Amino acid sequence: MNVEIEFDSSWQDEFLHRIENDGPWGNWELFKLAVGVEKHLIIPEFEGLQAPKHLPNLTPLPHQLETAKQVIENMNGKAILADEVGLGKTIEAGLILKEYMIRGLVKKVLILVPASLVTQWSYELNSKFFIPAVSQRKSYVWEQCDVVVSSIDTAKRDPHQDIINKLDYDLIIIDEAHKLKNNKTKNYEFVQNLKKKFCLLLTATPIQNRIGEIFNLVSLLKPGHLGSETAFFEKYKRDARSLNDNEHLKELVNKVMIRNRRADTGIEWTKRHVETIPIEFTPQEKELYEAISDLKSEGDWVQTSAFSVMTLQREACSSREAVFYTLKNMHQKKENPTKAFEDQIQYLISKVEAVQSNSKAEKALELIQKINDKVIIFTEYRATQMYLQWYLKQNGISSVPFRGGFKRGKKDWMRELFQKHAQVLIATEAGGEGINLQFCNHIINFDLPWNPMRLEQRIGRIHRLGQEKDVMIYNFAIQNTVEEHILKLLYEKIELFEKVIGDLDDILTKLDFGSIEDHLIDIFGQSCSEGEMRIKMENLTSMIDLAKDMQKEESHAAAGNS
Amino acid sequence: MQQLEIHNFLVRYFQANECEITENGPGYLTVQLSIELDKELMNRPFYWHYLEKTGGAPNPMKLTFITNPQIAPENLKGETIHFGSPRLHQIFQSTKKLASYIRLYENHRNNNQQTPLMPWLCMNVKISYQCDRKRDIYKSIGLQLINGQMIEGFHERLQNVQLTPKIPDYSFTLSPLVKPKSGMSRIENYLKAMIEEDNHSWAEDARNRWEQDLQLLHHFYEDAQEENESYETEKKALQDQYEPKINISFINGGLFYLTDTAV
Repeated sequence: MNVEIEFDSSWQDEFLHRIENDGPWGNWELFKLAVGVEKHLIIPEFEGLQAPKHLPNLTPLPHQLETAKQVIENMNGKAILADEVGLGKTIEAGLILKEYMIRGLVKKVLILVPASLVTQWSYELNSKFFIPAVSQRKSYVWEQCDVVVSSIDTAKRDPHQDIINKLDYDLIIIDEAHKLKNNKTKNYEFVQNLKKKFCLLLTATPIQNRIGEIFNLVSLLKPGHLGSETAFFEKYKRDARSLNDNEHLKELVNKVMIRNRRADTGIEWTKRHVETIPIEFTPQEKELYEAISDLKSEGDWVQTSAFSVMTLQREACSSREAVFYTLKNMHQKKENPTKAFEDQIQYLISKVEAVQSNSKAEKALELIQKINDKVIIFTEYRATQMYLQWYLKQNGISSVPFRGGFKRGKKDWMRELFQKHAQVLIATEAGGEGINLQFCNHIINFDLPWNPMRLEQRIGRIHRLGQEKDVMIYNFAIQNTVEEHILKLLYEKIELFEKVIGDLDDILTKLDFGSIEDHLIDIFGQSCSEGEMRIKMENLTSMIDLAKDMQKEESHAAAGNS
Repeated sequence: MQQLEIHNFLVRYFQANECEITENGPGYLTVQLSIELDKELMNRPFYWHYLEKTGGAPNPMKLTFITNPQIAPENLKGETIHFGSPRLHQIFQSTKKLASYIRLYENHRNNNQQTPLMPWLCMNVKISYQCDRKRDIYKSIGLQLINGQMIEGFHERLQNVQLTPKIPDYSFTLSPLVKPKSGMSRIENYLKAMIEEDNHSWAEDARNRWEQDLQLLHHFYEDAQEENESYETEKKALQDQYEPKINISFINGGLFYLTDTAV
């Protein structure tokens, strides 16, 4: 055996010193207690989890315990935790961290999470895991505290980065790690330069179908696991469609990644009920919408500005405030406006002014009163958000706004206000990510997001572990408008609301069509007309169908071979 | 540790530290801290500093611990203590700190008869095998400082011996032939020899894992032309992660003067 043995000599020096000075000597009862304590704290085996014994208030689910064990025993403490949304990745990470701390293998820890989750992470680590995690607020915290939670944006700023780069971390946890998919970014470089023994990357976005991104993530975790950059891309980019190569790659990736799925956990999930609520315009609203739609035939001034007609159409389906705000912007940004342009804007503004009520808001009010419980309203537009808050207040309903741009403390405060005092939370798109609201089980999609993938994230805020009731999702759609058409496409063609997006993505992986998210952003964000949108959507649908067929054939073939 | 064990442990800890246990009911206990223990546990140096400066009357805290919420009275205010709670671990640390060194004599019953007491050196240690994983071994070794006899499980044997901090009447201690310092290195060598005998496939396995990752790392950076800083950083990190090490750390220990039939 050639393992170095370290013998702690400080005890001996002090002992000799006390013999010389005839004491002071300890108390026999305490001496016995100390030995007793130590016998309890000793960990006799390399394998197994000690953490659950230390966590009486937490009942981890079987898949969470299994994941923690896997990471420690078979992955040497370096793993991508890629469970589907809402399966408790935080719990898994907490278990692993606790286990390492109990075993004395980890002391210095850095946890990098989105700014909106910093407080929640420290709170959960403290309350559920009894880990004294500290939210970074002052620069001395990096050195003085052992477990620090921060956002990457803060950490990479001066003077923090210099301090952090000097420290040796035992464990680094990064939440929403898919944001590090590009190895040319400052964030990537920052994380790459951290000194770390163990590392956990948490992500809910399935990444296995983006070969370059997975290479970058794995290389952060375990450089060389997928080979060097040139070798990797030579091998895989060229034959990206060869399934055999992909199988090999998948196997390699699975050595460093764990992905639990809802269906595999054996947990009874509460149901999702999706209801589309058709709404009719008032005559004035209809006139505004039609006035906007008519713009197309009025020459090409709209094309030259940065706003498409469809933007305005969709805004008209949300609120007159949203339209007005955009019109005002267009007017201000236009240099040397022509007379025709000015007239056009004025005309539309007069139509906006003619609108006296908001059909959707009325419907929302009615629904909220009927539900008589907490409700989250999602809208794409700041102007709509502000209008709704005012409108609900007029009708005696308390609400709080929520936006991605809020500072961390304000987000926490708003969430708290919503939980304890208000009935409604009105969130804009950016507010959808990084906040857990499972105490609420009603969502109103007041309008549709540009990227329909975000619908899953919206729903994921409340349909997660800890949700005890069925989740109700109400989609508002104005009849005979672009909005209704979009919803129909999403709903009928790809059954977006009932399926978990991960499944769709998995299906597409087979064909290497890129991610469904990219397709959807293109279709709903870039199309200039409904017609274009419909055609692109048809294409996507047929791709999905093709992939599904292939999948079926494959499973038939596999069954036949066995 | 079961909840009842924790309860009993707390009672013993506070009694040993001369704190009055004002209430000791099912699933809970209330204790009046002594000044010393308030300073030890409550982490309020400013309060004590202020008192000393102003000469005010000290008012150490009273604490209530709930060791089993199911049987403790409802609405009782107090700290819930369980095996993972930071407070319990603080008390564990304090226990170790307060009783690291000891010297005791056997309280023998040889009335009115001159009795020689043999010096024993006792060392209670924790041996840790550590790589990217870890396991511990507890050992209690006693070394008689006259004839060099060594006993394993020494602490456990002492449980049947009556001990007292003061030398009993009609007793005298024999001077050690083995000095404590060389006694300690005898025990150290004994432990090392014992560790040598053990199966260390764990260390081999860890070295293999380390080597594998090193290969990967090397491969990853082989395109890079000049000396690469992140390569060195990663290499160092792998060493920290996998390099097998064995640590021997002390729980506590001391001198025991025992009759020749005691252990």
